[in-house]
Amino acid sequence: MIHLITGGSGSGKSSYAEDWLIHKRKRPQSVPCVYIATMMPFGEDAAKKIERHHKLRAGKGFQTIERYTDLTGLFVPDNQGILLECMSNLAANELYHADGSMDDVEEVCDRILQGIRCLQRQTPYLAIVTNEVNSDINAYSRETEQYRELIGRINQRLGKLADRVTEIVYGIPVVIKE
Amino acid sequence: MIMIIGGAYQGKLAYAKELYPEISWTDGRECTDEQAVQCEGIHHFHKWIERKMRRGEDVSHLAEMLMTQNPDVVIVTDEIGYGIVPADPFEREYREMTGRICTELAAYAKRVDRVICGIGKEIKGV
Repeated sequence: MIHLITGGSGSGKSSYAEDWLIHKRKRPQSVPCVYIATMMPFGEDAAKKIERHHKLRAGKGFQTIERYTDLTGLFVPDNQGILLECMSNLAANELYHADGSMDDVEEVCDRILQGIRCLQRQTPYLAIVTNEVNSDINAYSRETEQYRELIGRINQRLGKLADRVTEIVYGIPVVIKE
Repeated sequence: MIMIIGGAYQGKLAYAKELYPEISWTDGRECTDEQAVQCEGIHHFHKWIERKMRRGEDVSHLAEMLMTQNPDVVIVTDEIGYGIVPADPFEREYREMTGRICTELAAYAKRVDRVICGIGKEIKGV
């Protein structure tokens, strides 16, 4: 089962997703829920964010795997659920290269969806945290606009694939699909 | 009048075409004013507002004009007011005006759907 969780920044998507997975647990806590962290730990902002999420998850029985790209090749150990956090970082990591070049939006989109299906096969519950970044005025650089298009397309395809879609608005879960 | 709203790249037009497969569409990025008031459906509606404002036209009666001249139109438009207030004065004005116009139209519309992640949800209906 796939649950897509979306919303604005700082809206409480992560803690909602964690709690949802924890409530789905049927086996002893020794069998972990797996947390796939996609944020590259570079810079002070990222470090702070990662630290905050570590604290959020502490004691909740999560095993963390850091994975910044290429979900398709990822083997996940026996688990009771997977939390992918988050799509907005993964999409950026897959789209932009260190040398400043970019991949094709369509290709990246296909690649990411393939990775999601690969995770889906390895868990009973897959929670995906994504982000709403497209309800703002359209006045960005071409590079940013391509990213906006990519995340929009990924979200549409995930919305179709998911069994549940929830938008978190200031901590309040709003059911989009169930 | 019907409105289908949501952020960019959410699949609004595809959703609108599924709901109303029989109607023909005009694109707000390139249509004339005549087309906008005569069409069955308009998408990129916010871009029509932007183009008019860039030409220096007064759009404060746009909602009223549509309600009287094209009361059954299906409008697909972006939500553009969810972020930081832009530094550019034109963008500020355009963003605010689009919000005001769409609020007026939504009050008049018999149905409003909001699309997110490709999924439409009726937020105002009969």
